[in-house]
Formats: sequence, structure tokens, C-alpha cells
Amino acid sequence: MFEHLPIKRRRVLRGFLVGGIIAWAAPFVYAASKFLSYQGILGGNTTAKFPASQLTEANPSTLVEVEGEPVIVIREPDNSIRAFTATCTHLGCIVSYRSQLMIGQEQIPGFYCRCHGGKFDSNGINVPGTPPKSPLTELKVTTSLNDLIISLTPIVSRT
Amino acid sequence: MDLVDALHLREPWEALKIRRIPHHRHSYWYYLGGLALFFLAIQVVTGLLLLCYYRPTPEAANQSVRMIVSNVPFGIVIRSIHAWAANILIAIVIIHTLSVFFMKSYRTPRVILWITGIVLLLILLGFGFTGYLLPWDQTSYFATMIGTELPREIPVVGDILVSWFRGSKEITGATLTRMYGLHVALLPLLALAFAATHVAISTLLGRAVPAGAKVKRETRFIPDYLLGESIIWLIGLAILLVVAVLFPWPLGPAYDLAKPSEPPAGVHPAWYFMFLYQTLKYLPNWATLWFYLIILLFWTLVPWLARVWKSWLLTGIGIILIAGFGILTTLAYFSVAQEKAGAKIGQISPTILPDSGTTGQ
Repeated sequence: MFEHLPIKRRRVLRGFLVGGIIAWAAPFVYAASKFLSYQGILGGNTTAKFPASQLTEANPSTLVEVEGEPVIVIREPDNSIRAFTATCTHLGCIVSYRSQLMIGQEQIPGFYCRCHGGKFDSNGINVPGTPPKSPLTELKVTTSLNDLIISLTPIVSRT
Repeated sequence: MDLVDALHLREPWEALKIRRIPHHRHSYWYYLGGLALFFLAIQVVTGLLLLCYYRPTPEAANQSVRMIVSNVPFGIVIRSIHAWAANILIAIVIIHTLSVFFMKSYRTPRVILWITGIVLLLILLGFGFTGYLLPWDQTSYFATMIGTELPREIPVVGDILVSWFRGSKEITGATLTRMYGLHVALLPLLALAFAATHVAISTLLGRAVPAGAKVKRETRFIPDYLLGESIIWLIGLAILLVVAVLFPWPLGPAYDLAKPSEPPAGVHPAWYFMFLYQTLKYLPNWATLWFYLIILLFWTLVPWLARVWKSWLLTGIGIILIAGFGILTTLAYFSVAQEKAGAKIGQISPTILPDSGTTGQ
């Protein structure tokens, strides 16, 4: 629309026009993005609590919710109780515990994700050659009388 | 413009560039249609945003609107803008219609613009009516009760229509889901189709010049007219923002289906339905319904009547209609104010009007 003006002045004016429109729109985009980013009040409990007897040899794992996140609690063959974040590190599905999982050439306990066949060993370490590229996080388990209490406190990797 | 060539839009672009808008003493009325379009766009954007958090069930609806206005950042402003812009948009479209009526811009070949315009106004009233229920407070509950009761007077299909709108005998969650569906799916589709047709045909035909107006010069559509229009848009937006921020749209307490209660004192519909509210106090339901259906039919037929009737007659009827609607609306607001005052001193005010036994809200 500034065709009748010299080229240099035309560029400056066009710059003002476009800049003005962007500056005008910016607060509206900001408000809308703040509006859309609202996450709500996080639901869920800060800990999960259930009796240790729930984990048996026949049924050695269970899924619980802590602060809105799925956590898998397992009873290993040596009867030690461990908890891991159950969110697969590939694309966020929920993993399950298998006492017989084909890892490499042997059948050993581990975690399996149904979505894309991701595997983790019983320490939560992702098996190379399967989709996940990072391990599950091991979480702290405390006991109170006969109950297990699980929180989102990570245990620093022992491997 | 390199982009124009890249998108192979050279021809339509050149066509728009040679487009001219006649400039005369009445030409500022032309801006109203564009302003309505702008407000429609605001409604689409704010509506989509509200859609992210609104939940259409009797248990959650009021609660979710409350969450939007109290917890979500900018939620109170966005909801207020949506509510205020809806009202301003209807006002703009009414003024737009009246300007077309008095300047007789509906004459051939613009008849289709008149018809699509009336449909668009009805669509907007539909938006207003269906949107009124969504916050699920007491006022919206009873306003919808009355509004969905009216079609019952239509012979043969009346009862079926009412059951379609309500989805149950009274206003329940089924009604809320239906109103919500109409508000966010059917009406937007219709509005888009009719608005696109309306704008496209009006662009194709160019602006009507009212009889007696002397065209002083012609304004280039690009950029002069568009820049003028954008100034009007910015003024409209500024007014909207100021009003929406200073007077946040109120939200009443949730209506509890399990605990039926009487309507709040001075319960009334939105201002654009106040004429209907007042007429229902004077006339039986069926008479009210038919009276306004006939007025709507007359209004639709104006382009044809204008060929037969004298110009002054049509203009006169138009003025009488405006006066009638104005008086009814004013009376309605007086009676609402009186009812509220009566409720404050703990008595029902019997002095406003004789009880005609109709559903007077």
C-alpha cells in the first residue's frame, strides 16, 4: 500500500505496520497461552499405602497411584520389595512386571511395555535394542507395621 | 507481494485491488457489517478457549465456569469478553439490519443479503438462548424453562419440538447437553455457512448506494477502506475490553436439580428477549408466538413488499415496530426493577400488572 513512496521509506513504513500488528497481537497471544496452560489442581495422594501381603508369589506386582502418577510395586523372587515409576520412558504407556521376560538369550524377571514392546530389567534399566532410551526411576518404599508406603522419592541408582 | 504470486492469488488480489467503495454522507453505515464479522471472530476464539475447561453436566457446569473465572489465568476476562461480545454483537447486527431497512439496501439484487441477514440474526439469537443455560445458575435454568415451553403452542409439532429441545419433561442434564451441542456444533456451522455466503455475495455485488445520497468519491477497498474498517474494529475491541474488565459478567449460584427452588426475584431473559418476556404478560402464549412469527414473516418479506407498498408506509411501519419493541423492553425493565424492590422489602409486588395466568417470565 506504500507503492507511491520511495523504496527505502516504503520498507520502513511497512516495518512499522507489521511491527505494530505483532506488538498489538502479542498480549492477546500471551493471555490465551496462559489460559491454555492451566493444569488444574493436581489430584491424588502424596503417598500410597497398602498391606504387604497383597504381593504374593503368584501375584508379585501391583500398580498404585502417587500424586497422579502410576507406580509399580514388585516383590522379587528373593522377597525384597521394590517400587518403580510405571511410566514407560518411550512414549508414556504403563509398564507391567513379568517374572519371565525374554531379555537377550535368557528368561529373567523384568518390566514390559505393551505399546511398542519396550523392555526393562528388574533394576529398571532399559534393555538395549528395545524402544525406551532411559531407565525407570526406582522409588523409596518404607514399611509401617504390615503396610507398604510408597512416595515419589527416587532412590539413587545402585548400578 | 511475492506471497500473492507464490499462492497463485494474483487474479483475486487484483480484483480486490480495483474494488471501490462509494463515499457519501451515509457510507459510514457500511462499517457495521464488518464490525459484526469481527465480533463473530472474537466469539469463535473466546468460545474455543472456554471450551477447553467447560463441562456440560448439571453437576459440573456451574463449578467449571466458576473454576474458569477464579482459577484459570485470564479466565475471568475471557469469559466476560465472550458474554459481553455476544450482547454487543446482537446489538450491532440489529443496528445493521435497521440501517439496511431504512436505506432500502435490500432491493434487487440484494434480496438474498436481506434473507441471509435475517437468518444470521436468528442464529445469533439462538446462540444467545442456548448459551444462556450453560452456566447452569437459577436465572439460566428458568429462562430456558420458559423459552423451551413456548414452541408448544405451534400446532401439531409443538409437543415434539419441546421434547426435542429438552430431551426430558423438565429442564435436566439432557437439556443441558442438547443446548451445549447446539451452541458449540450446529449453530457455529450454520453461522459459518450463512456468514460466508452473506459476505461473499455482498463483496460480489458491491455496496448499495441509498437513493438521494450523492456519491462524492470512491474509496479504494485496499488499503483505504480496510484501514478505516480496522480502526472501527480497534475502537470496538477497546470498548469491549474496557466493559469486560470493569464489569465482569456475573455468575449465579448453581441450580440444584435435587432441591427445586423458586426463581430468583426479578428473573428475566437477556435484553434482546425482553420484548417477548413483557408480551407474555399481556397475551396468551399462543397469541404471543403467532404475533411475533407474523412480524418475522413481514420482516422477511420486506424486499417484496417494497415493490408494491409506498416507501413512506414501509418506513412508518418500521418506526412503529422499533417504538413498539423499545416500549416493551423499557416496560419489562421497569417491572423487573419493581419486582426486585418488592422482594427486598419481603413482599410480592402485585401492582405491576394483572395476573393473566400466563407464564409471565
